Amino acid sequence: MPQLDTSTWFTTIMTMLPTLYLITQLKLLNTNHYQPPLTKNSNLQSHSIRWQPKWTKTCLPLSQPQQS
Amino acid sequence: MNENLFTPFSTPTILNQPATIPIILFPAMLVLTSKHPINNRLATIQQNLTQLTLKQMMMTHNAKGQTWSLMLMSLITFIAMTNLLGLLPYSFTPTTQLSMNLAMAIPLWAGTVMVGLRFKTKNSLAHLLPQGTPTPLIPMLVVIETISLLIQPMALAVRLTANITAGHLLMHLIGNAALALSTTNFSLTLLTSTLLTLLAVLEIAVALIQAYVFTLLVSLYLHNNT
Repeated sequence: MPQLDTSTWFTTIMTMLPTLYLITQLKLLNTNHYQPPLTKNSNLQSHSIRWQPKWTKTCLPLSQPQQS
Repeated sequence: MNENLFTPFSTPTILNQPATIPIILFPAMLVLTSKHPINNRLATIQQNLTQLTLKQMMMTHNAKGQTWSLMLMSLITFIAMTNLLGLLPYSFTPTTQLSMNLAMAIPLWAGTVMVGLRFKTKNSLAHLLPQGTPTPLIPMLVVIETISLLIQPMALAVRLTANITAGHLLMHLIGNAALALSTTNFSLTLLTSTLLTLLAVLEIAVALIQAYVFTLLVSLYLHNNT
């Protein structure tokens, strides 16, 4: 059975080791997986969430002094 | 007859130089890397397959097991490409060589055992005894479980070698028989259809790669998490 001929075992193993552990892994590392650009939520609303006291006073009708 | 059957499995030489070196290196060259966000169809298909396989395989692991994801992805890519390219006529499949499969199986299995023994010593040693065994059976069962653990790398290597070799041999035999019977036209159609279906079934070589990686995964999972 030619698979048991150990004279070629060294060459085969020595070729397989850099192929598997070096080349394939480097190739897989260098494939960039880009996310589609439209799925990210933009945080444009964040600065208006912070309540400042003057805004609270003008916006909330119940917080104003009773006039009318 | 014996020599003719097994000559496809001897390592090929070109002018007495070993041709196994470019043959083993070749499937790794087929993995495409590109810096563009949007690629052509082939690169996109490869990327999607890689991501799909990665998610499927690594879902069951915790953070520690997922550090092995690059290793397991390159393993399944390498074996899948090698086996699929070996289905072409007159090609040499490196995974039929016992040397290569042993060199793949033993270090990876030993790595999983080392990880389990180093980080979760009690848990990994407790796997040697199944739950609920009666007390007089314990020594014998520990011996049996140790033997079944030690035989795992051998089983991995020999399983891959034997399956791919047997598949290739069957295709050679059936093809030769179909050719010899081509003088009587009746059996030819029957045999070639058998050969064709066997070829399609032999795309379960890809399933075999799944088997390889999954058994490796199972041992990693067991040693790592539970």
